[in-house]
Amino acid sequence: MVIYLKAGTQLREHLKPDVDYYTRKVETPEGMTLKQILESIGVNPGFVAFAYTEGKIKNLEYIPTEGEKITLQPPVSGG
Amino acid sequence: MADGFAGMTLRINLSNGEIRKLPTDRKLMRDWYGGRGIVAKICYDEVPRDADPLGPDNVFIITSGILSGAFTPGGSKVEFGSVSPLTNGQGDSNMGGHLGPALKFAGFDLVIFSGISPKPVYICIDNDKVEIRDASKYWGMGSLDCEHLLKQDLGEDFEIATIGPSGERGILFSCISHDFGRQAGRTGQGAVMGSKKIKAIAVRGNKAIKVHNLEGLYKHTYDIIQRTKEHPNMEPWQKYGTSFFIRWSNDNAVMPTRNFQTTWYEDVEKIDGESLITKCLVTHKACFGCWMNCGKYSKAVIEGKKTVFAEGPEYETGALCGPNLGMHDINHVVYINYLLDNYGMDSMSGGGVMAFAMECFEKGLITEKDLEGHTMKWGSIDDVEHFLDMVVNRRGIGAWFAGGTRKAAEKIGKGSEKFAMQVKGQEMSGYDGRWAPGMLLSYMTSDIGAHHNRSWTITVDMAEGRETTEGRAKIVIYLQHIRPLFDTWCSCRLFWGELDITPEEYAEAVNLITGWDDSIDQALKVSEKIWNLNRCHYLERNKANGRTFDYPPARSWEDKIPNGPGKGKGVSLEQVETMLDDYYRERGWDKNGNPSRALLEDLGMGFAADNLEKAGFLGKPLEGGIPKVRGEKYKPKAF
Repeated sequence: MVIYLKAGTQLREHLKPDVDYYTRKVETPEGMTLKQILESIGVNPGFVAFAYTEGKIKNLEYIPTEGEKITLQPPVSGG
Repeated sequence: MADGFAGMTLRINLSNGEIRKLPTDRKLMRDWYGGRGIVAKICYDEVPRDADPLGPDNVFIITSGILSGAFTPGGSKVEFGSVSPLTNGQGDSNMGGHLGPALKFAGFDLVIFSGISPKPVYICIDNDKVEIRDASKYWGMGSLDCEHLLKQDLGEDFEIATIGPSGERGILFSCISHDFGRQAGRTGQGAVMGSKKIKAIAVRGNKAIKVHNLEGLYKHTYDIIQRTKEHPNMEPWQKYGTSFFIRWSNDNAVMPTRNFQTTWYEDVEKIDGESLITKCLVTHKACFGCWMNCGKYSKAVIEGKKTVFAEGPEYETGALCGPNLGMHDINHVVYINYLLDNYGMDSMSGGGVMAFAMECFEKGLITEKDLEGHTMKWGSIDDVEHFLDMVVNRRGIGAWFAGGTRKAAEKIGKGSEKFAMQVKGQEMSGYDGRWAPGMLLSYMTSDIGAHHNRSWTITVDMAEGRETTEGRAKIVIYLQHIRPLFDTWCSCRLFWGELDITPEEYAEAVNLITGWDDSIDQALKVSEKIWNLNRCHYLERNKANGRTFDYPPARSWEDKIPNGPGKGKGVSLEQVETMLDDYYRERGWDKNGNPSRALLEDLGMGFAADNLEKAGFLGKPLEGGIPKVRGEKYKPKAF
């Protein structure tokens, strides 16, 4: 299935967006957690504080669905 | 003059009631940029080195900066400063809200108080009309309660900053409050304001600010607004604020837990961001000119106690008054936030002081007899309530804790100094540095004690190796220049840190407002100059080599993390010493932590070198000379 991951700040540089400035298209097997997906594309899950999709916060155990657009929120830059 | 400044400076002598309105010193602003820079220079020039920070010879400064009120993103801050009673060095603290812009719209860039009022007063600035008014009606009130009443008495269109009973009674970690939930928390500025018997400052202004290039500034800001609307971080920020990083901090083993005994809290889900938003959120709050609305206004309902409202807790308060106190209910954390805000205590130091007391009680160093028959147990909201009542009233051993953890440990002794989690007298922020050596170095070398705002390196530590200190010093130094630059400009830095607005864009906004032509490198040089001026001032006041003051508490290297994801991790004393050696060398300071003449003259501060030499603490010349550039921007090779 295909999902879309979005990120800003330094996390964006590591995500290597290919759809637009912030977004990367990722093809991934169904049933993988967000943490597993990040590891599979070389993004360290430790640099993602949480995910945000359809107006809600999700942790990295979340299992995305086909076509979902997910924002990856890096940790706040301190306080 | 169309340069973004309001044009006037107020000097108020509280001892004799004299109010002087003077043209703002443009050269001073040009050389030191305003905000934190002005605070540093005025404190250095005007406060005698042996002055009591709570005495008449200290100054108390309020200033808006170049960006405050200029409709740039996050341009809302107001800076307070003085010689800090908590650290005995230059101290400054700022807050968002609306006071900084209001001061500018009233026509004033800077207010400098001297002396001490013979009776409680509040300062009323209504455009050109400036008055020192009797505050006996308000003296003794909580910060939040006082703001409510002053708004009723003066009008809702006044912007008001208040202190609570904590500041009135000289509790050294007292804060200044504004807009029912914004605080200038750190370095005890509330105590200095209280020492001068100023209960509140009320400002109303409706004048225009003339800028150098209005059309250019409009286009510049408009472009930024459009970009931030599209930024992926904007919506989560607007909805959740900083509280949502509690869980991340815990998962990555930097969460201060039970007075920094460990770094992972087993009950984090009971007090995290999700709990706050689902159980307590009332509405979002924003500062002047900001659309991030990161403020979260909350309601706490606790059985047997009153229902309270507070802005927060944001990350720091949530961490230091949550896991750090062993709390299990988000309503309790909101309630503690409210108590600290209304008493007028810094919630960060307040959390640190309470946690220290809890560990002392756990270890039998203070007893129920000392606590008037009460306990001070982890997770007890009743104990917190009673303890804070003892501290704010300076009752019994409450008076020991009124000076912060360092002074309390001096009184208690018996090895408690080891876990008084402070540097230079200021309590640590909400991150444990044992598995984040750059963060520990940041605490050690901050000019105002253990505060993360000067430098925050957790993700750098994660990327570069959490058990190595290599290369950390240069990055900390760069961050200690770029981050406080926002305090100098009086702008919130979240648009930079979270929404990809570059420092170059901020520097461009400054130039459009003032007509200057400074690059970001020039701005960073000014920030470095301020840093070193504060260091010189600190050494002269505290009469010892700088290295004396740059160590963290012994827990930092003696106690490895006992459990959680960071179990067994920690730095060694050898690593602490190595980090200091690296840092001093990269700063152009000698091995004692003292700035060298070559460095100070390179920064155009020969006067500071002369004064430091007279005091006996000028740094020795460095073998091989000073680094040409101090600090290095981090280039992530792994993230």
